[in-house]
Amino acid sequence: MSSKPIATSRSATGVPTGRLAVWWVLASEVVIFGGLLASYVIHRMGHPEWHAAAAVTNTWIGAFNTFVLLSSSFTAVLAHQAAEHGDGKGAARYLMFTILGALIFVCVKAFEWTTEISHGYTITSNGFWQFYYTAAGLHALHVIAGAIIMGFVARDAAKGRELHRVELIGIYWHFVDVVWIFLFPLLYIAK
Amino acid sequence: MADSHHPNYKKIYFTLLALLVVSVAGPFLGIGWVTLLTAFGIALVKADLVVQNFMHLKWEKRIVKYILGASVALMVLFYGAVAPDVQKHEGRNWTNDAAAAAVARGIPGSHAEVAHEEAAPAAAPEGHAADSAAPPAAPAAPAGFDAAGAYATTCATCHGPAGGGDGPAAAALNPKPANFSDPAFWSSRSEAELHKAIREGGASVGRSATMPAWGSIYDDAKATALVAHLRTFRK
Repeated sequence: MSSKPIATSRSATGVPTGRLAVWWVLASEVVIFGGLLASYVIHRMGHPEWHAAAAVTNTWIGAFNTFVLLSSSFTAVLAHQAAEHGDGKGAARYLMFTILGALIFVCVKAFEWTTEISHGYTITSNGFWQFYYTAAGLHALHVIAGAIIMGFVARDAAKGRELHRVELIGIYWHFVDVVWIFLFPLLYIAK
Repeated sequence: MADSHHPNYKKIYFTLLALLVVSVAGPFLGIGWVTLLTAFGIALVKADLVVQNFMHLKWEKRIVKYILGASVALMVLFYGAVAPDVQKHEGRNWTNDAAAAAVARGIPGSHAEVAHEEAAPAAAPEGHAADSAAPPAAPAAPAGFDAAGAYATTCATCHGPAGGGDGPAAAALNPKPANFSDPAFWSSRSEAELHKAIREGGASVGRSATMPAWGSIYDDAKATALVAHLRTFRK
C-alpha cells in the first residue's frame, strides 16, 4: 500500500538502496578525481620547474579552507546523528551550518582566485596553473552542488520528512571533504 | 545494525584539526622527507578518519568496500600504466624533447617578476653591445624588435646572459648549450644553420634536440636579428 519509491524500501545487498546508490556515485567520483590527481602527480614529478608556480599558492588560505570543510563535515555527521534520533529540526539546523561552511569555502575561493588571476596567474599560464584551476574548480563545483542539494534535504528534514536523506547527503559531503584533504597538500603544501 | 553506530564525533573532529595543524607546520622544519610525511602521510590519516567514522564505512557492508576498493585500484592502475611514459622524459628508444625543453626553459611568463629580475641585468650590457658593435644587424631587425631583450628572455636561461653556454639551466643539459663566445663555434656553423636552429629547433640541423623551435614567436626577420645579436658575443 505504500507509495514510497522502491529506492527507499527495497534492498538486495543489505545496504539501503539509496545509500548504495550514493556509494556508486562516489565510486565513479573516485575515478574522476583520482584520474585528474594522478595526472597532476605524473606531470608534477616530471616537471621540477613547476615548483616556481606552486610557491605562489597561499598555504594559509588553503589551510583555512581545510578547516572550514572539516568543520562542515563535523556538522554534517551531527545532522546524521540527530536524524537517526528522529530529530528532524535538529538535523536541519546542523545541515544549515554545513551549508554555511560551503558558502564560506566558496567565498574564500573566489577571493583567492581573484587575487591570483589579477596577478596574472591564469589557467593558460602553464601546466601547474591548468591543474590548479581544473582540480580546485571541479572540487568547487561539487561543493556548490552539494550545498544546493543539502538545502532541499534540510527543508524536508525540518518538517520531519525523508530523514534518511540526511545521511545520504552527508556521505557525499564527507567525500568532497576527503578530496580537499588530498588537494590541500598537492596544491598548497608541496612547494 | 550499521545505522546505530555513533562514535565520539567531537573527539574525531579535534583530532582532524590537530592533524591539520601538523600538516601546515611540517614544511617550516625545512626537511624534505618530514614535509612529505606531514603533508601526504597525514592526508591519508585524515582521509581514513573521515571515511571510517563520518562516512561510517567502518560499519558498512563489505560490498561497499569492494566497490570503492575497485575504483581506487583503477586509479592506481591508471597511474602505474601512464607514469612510465609521461613522468619520465626518456626511455630506451625514445625521448620526449618537448617536455625536456619545457623543464630546461623553466616557466616563461608565469613568474613575471622573476623573469624581469633575470632579464634586467642581462639586457642592459647586451643592448649596449648590440647598439655599438653590430650596426649592420639594425636594418634587418623589424621595427621595435629588441634582440637583446628577446635573447635575455628566451635564450639566456640555457645559453647564459653573455652567451657563454653557462645559463642557470645549462648544468642539467647534456649535450651542453652552445657557447657563442667561443670562436670555434663560429667557424663550425653557417649563419643559415643558426637561423634554422632558432626557427626549427636544434634537431633540424642535427644538433641537440633540447634546443626548442622558436619559429612560432620569431619570424625570419627576428631570427636574423637574433643571429646578428649572437655574433656580438664572439670573442
